[in-house]
Amino acid sequence: MARKLLLEKAHVEGIRHYDVYRREGGYRSVEKALKMQPNDIVEEVKKSGLRGRGGAGFPTGMKWSFLAKPDGVPRYLVCNADESEPGTFKDRYLMEFIPHILIEGMIVSSYTLGSNTSYIYIRGEYDWITDILEQAIAEAKQNGWLGKNIQGSGFDCEMYVQRGAGAYICGEETALLESLEGKRGNPRIKPPFPAVKGLWGCPTVVNNVETLAAVVPIMNIGADEYAQIGIGKSTGTKLISACGNINKPGIYEIDMTISVEEFIYSDEYCGGIPNGKKLKACIPGGSSVPILPANLLLTTAKGEKRLMNYESLSDGGFASGSMMGSGGFIVLDEDQCIVRHTYSLARFYRHESCGQCSPCREGTGWMEKILLNIENGKGKISDIDLLWDIQRKIEGNTICPLGDAAAWPVAAAIRHFRDEFEWHVNNPEKCLTENFGLRHYADPVHVGV
Amino acid sequence: MVQFKETSLAKVKEIIARYPSGKQKSALLPVLHLAQVEFGGWLDVPVMDYVAGLLEIEPIEVYEVASFYSMFNLKPVGKFLFEVCQTGPCMLNGSDNIIDYIKQKLNIGVGETTTDGMFTLKTVECLGACGYAPMMQFGKTYREHLTKEKVDAIIEECRAKAN
Repeated sequence: MARKLLLEKAHVEGIRHYDVYRREGGYRSVEKALKMQPNDIVEEVKKSGLRGRGGAGFPTGMKWSFLAKPDGVPRYLVCNADESEPGTFKDRYLMEFIPHILIEGMIVSSYTLGSNTSYIYIRGEYDWITDILEQAIAEAKQNGWLGKNIQGSGFDCEMYVQRGAGAYICGEETALLESLEGKRGNPRIKPPFPAVKGLWGCPTVVNNVETLAAVVPIMNIGADEYAQIGIGKSTGTKLISACGNINKPGIYEIDMTISVEEFIYSDEYCGGIPNGKKLKACIPGGSSVPILPANLLLTTAKGEKRLMNYESLSDGGFASGSMMGSGGFIVLDEDQCIVRHTYSLARFYRHESCGQCSPCREGTGWMEKILLNIENGKGKISDIDLLWDIQRKIEGNTICPLGDAAAWPVAAAIRHFRDEFEWHVNNPEKCLTENFGLRHYADPVHVGV
Repeated sequence: MVQFKETSLAKVKEIIARYPSGKQKSALLPVLHLAQVEFGGWLDVPVMDYVAGLLEIEPIEVYEVASFYSMFNLKPVGKFLFEVCQTGPCMLNGSDNIIDYIKQKLNIGVGETTTDGMFTLKTVECLGACGYAPMMQFGKTYREHLTKEKVDAIIEECRAKAN
C-alpha cells in the first residue's frame, strides 16, 4: 500500500471541518513555518524536489525563487483551481473533501512569498466547492490562521475565492490573471513572466491546488523524507484521476515508482477493464498529452516496464512516449474508435481557443471539421496528411500552450493509429456502423486474459 | 429599471473590497454570476449596462467578458438548464446516448428551450467529472453516472419543483 501524504485523512469523518482537521494534526505546518525565515522555506521546497502538479511539472521551489521583490510593491499568491483539462478531476476532490489542506498550504506559501492577499481562482462550474472553500476560509479566520497578525506572528494574510465562468484557457496562468482582473481570458505575451509582472502588474506566483497542498506534508515530514519517496526527479506522491473504460474510476494517490500496468490492472488502483474487454490505448496525463497504443504504453522503447512518473511516461519522446501532464489518466478499451475520440478532443480545443492567435483559432476549427468528415465516412486519404500539416503549423506558433495542446492529440492519433484513419476513408459505409477494433494495438501481455 | 436587491448590493460591496482600491473591475465575473442568478438566468443588455455602472467601467468591457465565458447566457434560458458534458471521457461512457435521450424526451435540440419555458438543453465541454461520467451540470451542483432512468427522475424532480 503506497504511502499517503495528501489523502491520508480523506476518510476521517468530518475532515472537511476545522475542528476535526485540526484535531488530526492540521495547521501544524503553519506553526512550523512561522518560526522559520521565508528563504529557508523556499530552500526546503527546492530540496523536496516538488514539481508543479498542474501539468508542466516545473520545479516549485525554483518558481518561487524567481519572484521579484521590489520595495513597496505588493506580491501575490494565486492558486490555480481552474481544473479543466479533460480527464483531470483531482483538485476537485482535494477541495471538496479536504479543503483545509489547501488553505493550510496556501498560508505557508503566502508567508514564504510575502503575499498578504492570496486568491483561489476556481472554475465557475465548481459552484458548490466555492461554498466549501469559503466556509473553510471563514473557519481558519475564526481560529486566527487568517486575518491580521496571524498566530501573533506579525504576518497579515487574507484569502479569497474567485469563480471563473467556463473557459479552459483560464487554466493558463496569464489568462487566469487576466480573468482575475475582470477581463477576457486572453493569455499574455511572455516575458514579462508573472513572477515579475503578474496580477495588477505586481509580482505573482501562480500554483496548482495539488502543488500548494503538497507544501503541507513537505513542511511536516521535512524535505529530505519527502524527496526519498518516488524515484529520480519524480519525488513525493502524485494524485492521478483515472477515468474512461476502467472498473474503478476515481482519485488515486500514487508513489511514482509503480508501473503503468500495475496502475491499470491492480485492484488497488483501476481494477482492470470492464466486461473482460482489452486495452486499446491510453492518454496518461490529460487530453493534451499524446495518446499511446497499449504496447507502447506498458513498455518503453527500451523494453523496460513503463512507470507512472514524469521521466518514464515521457521516455522515447513523442515518437514512442507521452507525458505525465496533469495526471488525468484516460483509458480506452477495444471498442473505442480513435477517430471519433480524436474528433471529440478537437471539438473541445476549437471551443476553448481564445481566438487571439490565428494558427490556433483557425487551425482548431479546421481540424475539427476534417475529423468529423473522416468519422462520417466523407474523408479522403489526403485529409490525413492535411491534418498532419495543420497540427504542425499550430504547434509552437501561438502565444500560449493551448496551440500545442490542441496539436498533440491529433498528431499522436495519426502517428500511432494511421491505419485506423485510412480504414475509415476506405470503408465509408462500414465505418458508420462498425469499429476498426483492436487489431495490432493490443497490449501484448493481457490479450486473451 | 434593473436594480439588485439590497442583499446582493451588499454582496457586491463585499466582493469589491477583496481587491486593492481602484481594481474594482476584478469583481466583474463574480458580479455577473450574481446578476445572472438574480435576473432570470441570463444577461440582457440592460443588466450588463447596470453592472458596468456599478463597477464604474464601460459597458463594452462587460459585453466582451460576458460573450467570452460559456457560463454566461446571452439569450433567455428555461427555468431548468441541463448542461450535459460531451468531451472525450464522457463520450467513452455514453454521453451521446444521454444527449439523444434528453432531446427525444423533451422534444428539443441542443441549445433549445421547451415551448413551456421549463427546460433548456446545452452541451458543454469537460466539467471535471470524468470519473463519474456521463454527467451534467444542474444548478449549483453536478448530477453524475447518468442513465436514462436518472434523467427521467431529474425531469420529474423539476416538474415537482415548478408546481
